[in-house]
Amino acid sequence: MTRSPAAGGAGLTRPGLAWALPATAFFAVFALVPLALVAVLSFTAWNGVDSPRAAGLANWTALLHDPVMLKSLWLSALLTTLGVLVQTPISLLLGVWAAGHQRHRAILSAIYFVPLLLSATAVSVLWRALLDPNFGLPAQAPWLFGDGNLLGSRDGAIGVLAFVGAWQWTPLHTLIYQGAARAIPQVLYQAAAIDGAGRLRQFWHVTLPQLRTTMVTSTVLMVVGGLTTFDTVLILTQGGPGTETTISAYYMYEQGFKSFDFGQASAIALVLVLVATLVSLAMVRLSGYDAMRAGTEGI
Amino acid sequence: MKHVSTAPHRRASSPSHPSRAPRRSHVPLTATALACAAALSLVTACGSSGGSGSGGSGVIHVLAYGDAGNTVEKSIVDTFNKTSKVKAVLDTIPGADYQSKLQTVINTPQAPDVFFNWGGGSIAPFVKAGLLMPLDDMIAKDPALKADFLPSVFNTAVIDGRSYGVPMRGTQPVLLFDNKKVLADAGLTPPTTWDQLLDEVRTLKAKRITAIALGGGDQWPELMWFEYLFDRVAGPGVLQKAVGGDKSAWSSPESTKALGLLKQLIDAGAFGTTYDSVKFTDGGSPALLAKGKAAFELMGSWEYATQQSANPDFAKNQLGYSAFPSVADGQGDPNDLVGNTNNFYSVRSTTKYPDAVAQFLKLMYSDEFVKAQLAIGNLPTTTNTPKFLASSASPAYSQYQYDLVERAPSFQLSWDQAYPPAAMTPMHQAVQRFFDGQLDAGGFVAAMQALPTP
Repeated sequence: MTRSPAAGGAGLTRPGLAWALPATAFFAVFALVPLALVAVLSFTAWNGVDSPRAAGLANWTALLHDPVMLKSLWLSALLTTLGVLVQTPISLLLGVWAAGHQRHRAILSAIYFVPLLLSATAVSVLWRALLDPNFGLPAQAPWLFGDGNLLGSRDGAIGVLAFVGAWQWTPLHTLIYQGAARAIPQVLYQAAAIDGAGRLRQFWHVTLPQLRTTMVTSTVLMVVGGLTTFDTVLILTQGGPGTETTISAYYMYEQGFKSFDFGQASAIALVLVLVATLVSLAMVRLSGYDAMRAGTEGI
Repeated sequence: MKHVSTAPHRRASSPSHPSRAPRRSHVPLTATALACAAALSLVTACGSSGGSGSGGSGVIHVLAYGDAGNTVEKSIVDTFNKTSKVKAVLDTIPGADYQSKLQTVINTPQAPDVFFNWGGGSIAPFVKAGLLMPLDDMIAKDPALKADFLPSVFNTAVIDGRSYGVPMRGTQPVLLFDNKKVLADAGLTPPTTWDQLLDEVRTLKAKRITAIALGGGDQWPELMWFEYLFDRVAGPGVLQKAVGGDKSAWSSPESTKALGLLKQLIDAGAFGTTYDSVKFTDGGSPALLAKGKAAFELMGSWEYATQQSANPDFAKNQLGYSAFPSVADGQGDPNDLVGNTNNFYSVRSTTKYPDAVAQFLKLMYSDEFVKAQLAIGNLPTTTNTPKFLASSASPAYSQYQYDLVERAPSFQLSWDQAYPPAAMTPMHQAVQRFFDGQLDAGGFVAAMQALPTP
C-alpha cells in the first residue's frame, strides 16, 4: 500500500504524535533542560560547594578578555581544518581503491579498519607511549624526529593531535567513500572508456563529481568531530605545553572540573554551542545540503 | 605503584581512567531520568542513589581515596566496629576522580561524616562555606588527638587557628633521588650545595648524560623545583604571605633570586630538551633514572615505591636519595622540607554522631594503625612511629624520612595544594611556561600574583 501513487494517500495513516514522545522527552531531559540550566549558571559564580551566587555578567566579561579563550577557539578551528585537510584526500583515495575488486583488497581493507575499533582513549594512551622521546619511536629514528620533543613543543603537539585524529578517523571516512564509490553506476565508466578517458580522467570526471554529496557528509562529520575533540587532548597533551593545545572543549573541562569554576565553564559551553550552531548553519548553506540534489545526475 | 596515588595525582588526571561509569543504577534508566526530571533537582536527587545517606541510621560514613592503601582503612574500620555501637562504613572513590566527586557530594544529604583530604587548600573552600567541624573541642577532651602527631604535619590542616583534620596515612616529603652507579661512574656524590649541583650538571653533560630526569608533561614535577628553591633562598615566608593574600611577596628580591637560580639550571641544560614530552605518571621519567640515562630526579618519596614495582633490582641496589642542596646566602633552613605532609580525615559539621567520630579518629594514633601503615610502605607521622620503624617494608628508608620530617623546622605543603583548587591549572601552566622559556621571571611573578587565594 505504500506504493499507492496518491499523494498523502487516503488509506495511509501517519504515525501519531505519541510516537515522537519518548524521543522528545529524552531530548528535553538530556539536552534542553541542561542547556537552560547551563545558561542560568553562566550568570552565577558556583564552585559546586556553596549555592550558586548571582554574578551578573562577570563570567562573560572575563571570557571576553581571556586570551586563553580566544586562542582556544582558534586552536579548535586549526585542528578541525587540519583534520579535514589530512583526512579527506587519504580516505577518498583509500575508499575509491577499496571499492574495486583487486587481489587482497578485502584483507587490507580489514586491516585499515582496525583503528576505528579501538576507543579514542586507548588510541591516545598507545600513541603517548609510542612517542616517548627516550624509549619510543623518536629514540629509534632521530633523523625523522630530531630530539623527539614532540609533545613538549607547540607545533609538535598540534601535529601529533592532528596525526592521531587522522589515524583513528580515516577508516570511518574510507568506509563512507567506499560505499559511495561502489554505488556509482558502472555505465558511467563504460561510457567514459568509450570516449577514450583513461583511469585518471575517469577518476577526475566521473568518480569525484559522483562523490560530491558524500564529501559534504564526510566533511560535516569531520568538522563536528573536530569541534568536539576532547579525549585525545586530555590524554596526549592535557592542553599543554602551557596552553598551546588548550582547545575550547578542554578549556571548558579545565574550568569546570579542575578549577571548579562552573559559572565560567558554563559560559564557555554556551560559546561552544553558539559556534557549533553557526558553523553547522554555514555548512548547510554553503554546501547546498538543505536542497541536496540527487547524486546520479543524467541517469 | 601502590601509593603513588595518595597525593600527586589528585589533580593530575591519571592517563587511563575511563570517564564516569554510572554508579549503582539498578533502576531502569528512563524511570530514573523521569523521576529526576519531575523532581527537578538533578544534582541532589541523582547525585547518588540513596545507599550512602547517613541519617539517623546508627552509621557513620567514612569516605576515602580509592587505592591500594584502602586495606589499612578497612582494617581500622573493622577494629572500630568491634567495640562501637555506631558502626562505620568505608566508602571509596577511585583515585583520579576523588576531588571532583567530593566537591559535588560534600554539600548534599549524601555527604560523608568523615572524609579523606590533603589539608590546606583542598579543604579551605569547605571551611569557608562552614561545612567542616572544628576539631578543637575533641582535642580539648583528648589532647593526644593533636599532641601525638608531628606538629609540622598536623599544622597543614589548621586553618585560621582551628584544627580541621587528623593525619591518616603517610608523609611524602620531596627528595633528590639519584642513580648511584651513574654518579659513581662520573666520580660524583649527591650534591649538598647548589653550586655543587651546577658543577655536577656540567660534568654529566660533558659525558652526554641528562643530569636530571623531569616529567614536565605532568607539570607538577616542575613545580617541586620552584618550591625548594623559594624555600632555600627566602625561607617558608614567601609562600605563606602569598597564600595569605599578600601578592607583593612574589615580587620580592628573594623571589627574583630564586627564579634566577632555576633559570640558570635550566639554561645549563640540566633537564635536557625533551622534558615536556616526558611524564612521571606513565613511567617515563622514573625509567630515565633507572636505566642510567639520567643521574637525578627530584620527586616525592613515592619514587621509591614506584621504582620498587617497576625496577625492583634498581630500587634495591642503585637508588640513592638525599635532601635538596642548600643555597649560599639563603635565608631558608637547609633542613626545611616541601611535599605532601600527610593525608587527613576531616569531619562534616552535619554528622549526627560526633562522639563516635571522635572515637574513630583516636585510632589514627594507635599502635595497630602505625604498624599497618608501615607494613604497606607508608610512613605515618605519629610520635609513636619510631617504635615500629624496624618493622617497616624498608626500614632504612623509613628511618631516614622520619628523621628528616622530625627535624624539619618547616614542612611546606606543595603549592598547588596550599592554594585552593581554582589556582591549580593556571599555576601549573605558569610553571611549565617558565621552564619552556615562554615566561621570564617577570611574567611568572605576574602569573602567580593573578592566582586566587583562599
